Amino acid sequence: MKRINFYYSTKLTFDDYVHNHSFALRVIPPENPTQKLLSCSLNIDPYVSTQQTSDAFGNNVTAGYIKGDHRFLDFEIKGIANVDNTQYRTDFMPCYLYQSQYTAPDDDLKAFYSEIRGGCTGTVTERAAYLCDVLSDKIEYGKGFTDTSTTAAQAFALRKGVCQDFSHILISLLRMDGIAARYIAGLAFCDGETHSWVEYWTGDHWEGIDPANNCSINDDYLVISQGRDFRDCAVDRGVMFGKYTNQMQLVRSVLS
Amino acid sequence: MVQLKQGQFMQAVGNANEINELLRRYGVKFGIYKNGVFNEQFFPFDPIPRVISAEDFASIEKGLVQRVNALNEFLFDIYHEKNIVRDNIVPEDFIYISKGYLAECEGITPKNKIYSHISGIDLVQAKDGEWYILEDNLRIPSGASYPLIARELTRIAAPQAFEENNVVDNRGYAELLKETMENANCGGVRAILTPGRYNAAYFEHSYLAELTGSVLVQNDELFVEDNVLYHRTYSGGKTRIGVLYRRIADEYLDPLTFLPGSLIGIPNLMEAYRSGNVGIINAPGNGVADDKGIYYFVPKMIKYYLGEEPILKNAPTYLPFYDEDMKYVMDNLESLVIKDVAEAGGYGVVFGSDLTKEKLEEFRKTIIAEPRRFIAQEVIDFLDLPILDNGEKVMRKADLRAFVLSGEQTKVWASGLTRFSRNPDSFVVNSSQGGGFKDTWVLSR
Repeated sequence: MKRINFYYSTKLTFDDYVHNHSFALRVIPPENPTQKLLSCSLNIDPYVSTQQTSDAFGNNVTAGYIKGDHRFLDFEIKGIANVDNTQYRTDFMPCYLYQSQYTAPDDDLKAFYSEIRGGCTGTVTERAAYLCDVLSDKIEYGKGFTDTSTTAAQAFALRKGVCQDFSHILISLLRMDGIAARYIAGLAFCDGETHSWVEYWTGDHWEGIDPANNCSINDDYLVISQGRDFRDCAVDRGVMFGKYTNQMQLVRSVLS
Repeated sequence: MVQLKQGQFMQAVGNANEINELLRRYGVKFGIYKNGVFNEQFFPFDPIPRVISAEDFASIEKGLVQRVNALNEFLFDIYHEKNIVRDNIVPEDFIYISKGYLAECEGITPKNKIYSHISGIDLVQAKDGEWYILEDNLRIPSGASYPLIARELTRIAAPQAFEENNVVDNRGYAELLKETMENANCGGVRAILTPGRYNAAYFEHSYLAELTGSVLVQNDELFVEDNVLYHRTYSGGKTRIGVLYRRIADEYLDPLTFLPGSLIGIPNLMEAYRSGNVGIINAPGNGVADDKGIYYFVPKMIKYYLGEEPILKNAPTYLPFYDEDMKYVMDNLESLVIKDVAEAGGYGVVFGSDLTKEKLEEFRKTIIAEPRRFIAQEVIDFLDLPILDNGEKVMRKADLRAFVLSGEQTKVWASGLTRFSRNPDSFVVNSSQGGGFKDTWVLSR
């Protein structure tokens, strides 16, 4: 078990006033057998009244609406969590067995899977580790080649990507292999920004694997949101009105 | 066949052109997109009503109530425990590959556990008098307004026809719809959400809003604050909406949950809905139950959830997904009708008998490659109904869309939309395929 202090902030700035701004944040880490929150506070600026719900995938959703003109939306979350990966998470959903928007393979990715599937044997954990290995050999970590809209098939074609792309490709391979898998957005000690990794279903619980670092996860990882792919896990989603042409987002995260 | 007192009724027939002219003036139109261009086309009305005897209707009514109750149970089960999958009645693939299944709706329980408040069930009557279910429409079934307004105009054109014949008044639809909306109301006013006047069914949206005393709204007049849905008033205030009868598709409903690019949705509507602060008619996610692939399983659902024998039959259907059915489909392709499960509105329907030899072979390969994508049905030799074609009576294929409303109880509207094909060789009656409509008279005795 490990005690983690976490801090995460986002500054969203617009180059002109916006109004009627609706947003949904998925920033409060979900509580489950592997992670308990000892404290957690969320601050949003400008001040706005918010409501909390829990979505279909078990994420905490903070929803708000800012009616008047504003040029920025900042939020920061800090807290303390106990992370204990000797415990098991068992919140299974059958949809995790099926390809989703970001993970649907194209012919190339399918061909790659057929090529390597011969080596994919043994227990689910062995198969997942194997797929993660072949993925590390095939794809190079590189920033600036992909963005948040890049799908597994697109990143695979580039042979380059960041943690989000590694996760999507691994999920695609796992699902092709008949293993249920989900996308995790979170914070990890290995990374200064938000991180992403994958969980696969062993048959009775979830196990985490970090394809960008090709290692299994430990108590240095804090889950913020989970879902079928990036789309279910976006930290912030919003709709606003105004004449702005540009928005800037600054993200900072610290674990200690 | 039902005998009508024809005397005064012929007045209505004689006045058909006037009625159509009035419908045109009222804006009773059907818009369709073809090659990216929006065309509003007149939905031709045929004055000869379809007549259903009281006895026939009583049996259809029972069967429809049973079917819709089972479908509502199914939807609750799929978005919660999934017992019907666990008990191997419906294969898992059929649920999760269906485009209508929305994982985002897992765990949400709508008020009173009703998912399909307004169900449009399409039936046909075979030559031997037996009724068959063609498909279930549990998302946004349209069309109720057409027989409503046509009846009103026919009453004006031929009032005596209704004195001589015991026709159940169909104007009760407004009250029925209002009741259904109130039953789903979570506290606030009733509203009907339209994507705007360029929608195929805009006439219907405005007409139903007027009849039920609901506010007709577009998304830019709505917002969600503190997980409550509000209507912006002209004076700058806000009115709470308790139930939203939305006439836009699930994926456009909330850009923060579904398609991020949706310009006709309401951000955070799903949060308000999940919190139980607003009722949505029909519930998002219903598409999993009216999928053409799931249709095959509805009689099994009726047995599974209600422990009853289905009263109304499905058209004989085969799923190429099952080996045995695939063999039958391959052996009899030229005599079957094949439907693409992802398509609606009469698109993606292929009659084996219409295909050339080469096309047939090509299609065979497509089915083998994607067995889950298709269902195959026997072509039902359905009853032709008389229509007027340039003043002459001719016989054409017709179906019936029955409207089943689930509020405190499940009720069938004693009327319905009868659609016919104007083309003598066609079995496809969808309005988007150029068909026309008739009023449906249910006799009270």
